[in-house]
Amino acid sequence: MYSAEKELFMMCFSPLEQFTLISLIPLHFGNFYFSFTNSSLFMLLATGIFLALFSLVTVNGGTLVPGPWQSFLEMIYEFVTSLVREQIGPKGTKYFPVIFTLFTFILFSNLIGMVPYSFTTTSHFLVTFTLSFAIFVAVTIIGFQIHGLHFFSFLLPPGAPLVLAPFLVVIELVSYCFRGISLGVRLFANMMAGHTLVKILSGFAWSMLSLAGLLKMASAIPFLVVFALMFLEVGVACLQAYVFTILTCIYLNDAIHLH
Amino acid sequence: MAEGAKLIGAGCATIALAGAGAGIGIVFGSFISSVARNPSLTKTLFGYAILGFALTEAIALFALMMAFLILFVF
Repeated sequence: MYSAEKELFMMCFSPLEQFTLISLIPLHFGNFYFSFTNSSLFMLLATGIFLALFSLVTVNGGTLVPGPWQSFLEMIYEFVTSLVREQIGPKGTKYFPVIFTLFTFILFSNLIGMVPYSFTTTSHFLVTFTLSFAIFVAVTIIGFQIHGLHFFSFLLPPGAPLVLAPFLVVIELVSYCFRGISLGVRLFANMMAGHTLVKILSGFAWSMLSLAGLLKMASAIPFLVVFALMFLEVGVACLQAYVFTILTCIYLNDAIHLH
Repeated sequence: MAEGAKLIGAGCATIALAGAGAGIGIVFGSFISSVARNPSLTKTLFGYAILGFALTEAIALFALMMAFLILFVF
């Protein structure tokens, strides 16, 4: 009886509760909601913290011999510049500001989500899908703008036998459209799965701690696993920002230089 | 009844992660072999290895998403 009640009590708090949106300043016109949610707050925080960091460090243009924070920002800048230059080449420098903003936004959103009890904006599919769909549409428009209708030749890879052309074009089209979705799903799934896993394991540790005897001491095991997982999650946060950015550069490269 | 079916479905969907695990192992195995052949290219190859890892892990996470979809949405 007692253990059944306890199980019901534990099941009421699902590990997906950490992703709920809370509207802090509700605002709606009929069916359109423009509320300021906790998602918006953390997006503002991510961009605000980076902007504040950047402007505080580069007062008077920074020092010639960089201090630690300036060095950190220079590393991020150098990293994104080398990404753009390596993937797209000299024609890509005009897209560098967008890609830099994208990289730092995703990086800081992911890292802020690592703080306990905070909210990860990129753990919502709508946020990441908006980013990736916007990038997909932009890259397609850029491709058509540069190459005109010749952009459709992208769908038939060079050196493919012409007999296969009908099937190949359809498959390439599906693969091209799937790119736009998979970019967002990858980031969303990584963030959501990581946070859910940490929540479930720490739920184990907590409920084991509240029981008696050997289980109370054995609750150190899930606690140590959560501790190790935190390192992995921070690594995954940085990695996913890098992968999103490099894939954007690769898609841009495909649009600018067909194949 | 549906609750039990959901649990079974989610469990079956997680089997797909085996393939993704093998794939990630292959990516990093090739990375180690190729760095052993040519250590001077470590930096470039590491970048490619991380890209390959992320793309492979995306498939794993698609499978996990299906499991979550079955469990919590339907």
